[in-house]
Amino acid sequence: MKFTYLALLSGIVFISCKPKFEMPEEHLGTVNVTNYIALGGSNTAGFSDGAFNLKGQENSYAQILSEQFNRIETSTFNQSLVSEMGINLDGNSKLIVGYKTDCNDEESLSPVRFNSTGDNSILSANVSSLGLFNNMAIPEMSVTDVNTLNYNNPFYQRIVADASSTSVLDLAVANNPTFYTTQLGEDDILAFATSGATSAPTPTNGAAGVGFEGSLEEVITSMVAAGAKGALLNIPNVLNHPYFTTIPYNGLEIDAEQAESLNSVFNPIGLSFQVGTNGFLIEDTSEPFGVRKMLPGEKILLTIPLDSVKCYGMGITNYIPDRYSLTLEEIEVIEQMITEYNQVIASLANQNGVALVDLHSLYKSFHNETVYNGVSMSSDFISGGTFSLDGLNLNPIGQAKIANAIIEELNTFYNAAIPFADVTTYPGIIFP
Amino acid sequence: MTQHLTKKLLLFAALFPLLSLSQGYQVNLQGQVSQAMGGAGLAMTEDGSSLFFNPGASAFIEKNEVSLNFTPTFANGTFLEAKTNNLAHTVSPMGTPFSAYGLFHLKDSSSLKLGMAVYTPFGSTVEWEDGWEGRFALKRLQLMSIFFQPTVSYKISDKIGLGVGLIYTYGKVNLQKDLPLQFEDDGSYGTAELAGTSHGFGYNAGIYFNATDKLKFALTYRSRIDMNVKKGQAIFTVPASLEDKFPSGEFSASLPLPSVVSLGTVVNPTDKLLLALDINYTNWSVYDTLGFDYAVNTESLEDTRSPRMYEAAFAFRLGAQYDVTDKFKARIGVSFAQTPSLDDYVTPESPDADRISYTIGLGYAITKKISLDASLLYTQLEREATNQETQLSGTFKTIVFAPGIQFNYTF
Repeated sequence: MKFTYLALLSGIVFISCKPKFEMPEEHLGTVNVTNYIALGGSNTAGFSDGAFNLKGQENSYAQILSEQFNRIETSTFNQSLVSEMGINLDGNSKLIVGYKTDCNDEESLSPVRFNSTGDNSILSANVSSLGLFNNMAIPEMSVTDVNTLNYNNPFYQRIVADASSTSVLDLAVANNPTFYTTQLGEDDILAFATSGATSAPTPTNGAAGVGFEGSLEEVITSMVAAGAKGALLNIPNVLNHPYFTTIPYNGLEIDAEQAESLNSVFNPIGLSFQVGTNGFLIEDTSEPFGVRKMLPGEKILLTIPLDSVKCYGMGITNYIPDRYSLTLEEIEVIEQMITEYNQVIASLANQNGVALVDLHSLYKSFHNETVYNGVSMSSDFISGGTFSLDGLNLNPIGQAKIANAIIEELNTFYNAAIPFADVTTYPGIIFP
Repeated sequence: MTQHLTKKLLLFAALFPLLSLSQGYQVNLQGQVSQAMGGAGLAMTEDGSSLFFNPGASAFIEKNEVSLNFTPTFANGTFLEAKTNNLAHTVSPMGTPFSAYGLFHLKDSSSLKLGMAVYTPFGSTVEWEDGWEGRFALKRLQLMSIFFQPTVSYKISDKIGLGVGLIYTYGKVNLQKDLPLQFEDDGSYGTAELAGTSHGFGYNAGIYFNATDKLKFALTYRSRIDMNVKKGQAIFTVPASLEDKFPSGEFSASLPLPSVVSLGTVVNPTDKLLLALDINYTNWSVYDTLGFDYAVNTESLEDTRSPRMYEAAFAFRLGAQYDVTDKFKARIGVSFAQTPSLDDYVTPESPDADRISYTIGLGYAITKKISLDASLLYTQLEREATNQETQLSGTFKTIVFAPGIQFNYTF
């Protein structure tokens, strides 16, 4: 059958004939990416899963952004890379998903430490001799510390030769930035919120080193003076991070007998409990007896010792200490701070002709659950697939979404045509 | 903790259909004569493929006939993601649609013909390369089906023929996609594989009207057939800690094959030239949802309902046949088919688009009893779409190339 041969032959020829596309144009617009400097706190540094670790760094949005730049123009992006195990300021290693047995002997999937201690060599070795780094974000850096001498943060101490004469901003400027991003302020809000609103927040107004406004302005002015174009990332509503949303305010579930015995104790001080779910008992010094039941909308922090709640009466017979909860009043203060900070960021971006990346909206889309190429993402703890296991910082997928939000803004603001990162190729949560 | 993986699985539903020829998941490669003429030929009495195209015309074929038809089909698809500018290619194997027709008359009655048609109007594999951006929507879909159609065709008069065939369908489906759950050891992704078989019944009926020597008409109706997968096997490969959330087990699903109403005409302007025009109206609106019911549901594995929202669509087919010599016929044709899928519901298993197909072919009578027909079909489709369920957004381009050959024996 000659024809069959012909058909097969022509078929083989055809196999190599793929549809042709006129590829979309890719260019950097007016952005010069020769030396991109990222300034920020934990999330920008790639701090994730509860520690400063290699995977987090390799998948920080700053790194991802630089890789997208590289598709158009080759440049280097240096980070002070650490180990896989990582370490945080409490000396712990990063978290992974593992099995944990609680006080009731129930085993469940839960974040557990990768190692019994963190990698101390990270903090003991000074890597400043490696040169200047492009990712100048320092875990837990407050905006007021960016231009502070003697900044006493071990993650900074390890990358600077002489902290007494050099601030983070000095190092950043010394690297001759041509482009920069800042994600500053979120760590200030988080420092306040994760303390259960027991620490002193960074005020919105105030000079550099004191207030958010003066400090950020100083950063931008320095970058503008250095001739760099940039993008300012604003601040999401951190109270929607899983750290604040995973444990419900009314997780106290009791039966009739328990309700009766609790009521016999608490009715005299004006508190009553019902069968079913109840708000936990929290510390509130403004109440006559110093305690009250939690109200809808109030938050319990992820750091609360769950065994104490499950087996030792925390939140039931003993109140939950203030540092593990946020009251409606505290929530209002935090939300007000975020609003004010974001107004400052927007007006500084506007005044200095710098791009503004709306992370506040992006995180809202995490919170409301969105779908990307067939994968559903939300800000739910672990299963949401966006946040890392610390519930505060993003995992690589979330980081890639930030990189794309920045690219989208650069494409508009600086007339660039930079391709987005393929979010689905970045690691999500790994299961045992 | 894994409650919301549920939603991830909801997206699991993207399923059956095909990167195929013609519309939606319908393949119109059932005979080389018609294939060479843009798929037209309802009102032709050229060969046994009338059992498929118009059972009413079969009674007008004078002799007994057996024909075998095979069309290796090559479809190359490429996807350009809207925002990453990444390209992904299909690595689909060759499609192998075939058909076989047998047409016989009873001794004592030449006006009654009996026929058996076996054909594969759905049957190809769409496979996207490893790691492509839509792998959580679809990795691979293999659909095989075979139709058996015993047919009776009766010539009421010299003018009119009626025919009807009962269709029994056996189908096989195998669908694979990645799940966004990563393994600890190498970071690879979980997978889901759904495999099943189905059976369905329907019928195919037609009227042939031999108006004059030079003018014929045809009206046909092929019924809807519901392909029900009753005891399919769902196999989930996920990290050990999630195995109880994704229990492998049985599932059921249903895919409707839509009804088709067609009107055809044939004109012979000269003794040597034949022109054919067909219009098909396929009621794709029956495919509005694709659902999967799992025998065992968990908080992470719920039954799914995916919108497809297909709409009824027309196809127009125009073909010409010229008798170059007594033995040799040349054919050419073109067709236009509307897509049944809306922009918001285009899927990587069937990145369909309005399409124009070009065909050529020839027929050659080797002896009085033996003849060969061959054809070649080419079409290119392009569809820019954002699927509202998966948010997969970009442009699909597909080139389809289908050379085919048919062997006929008349006696």
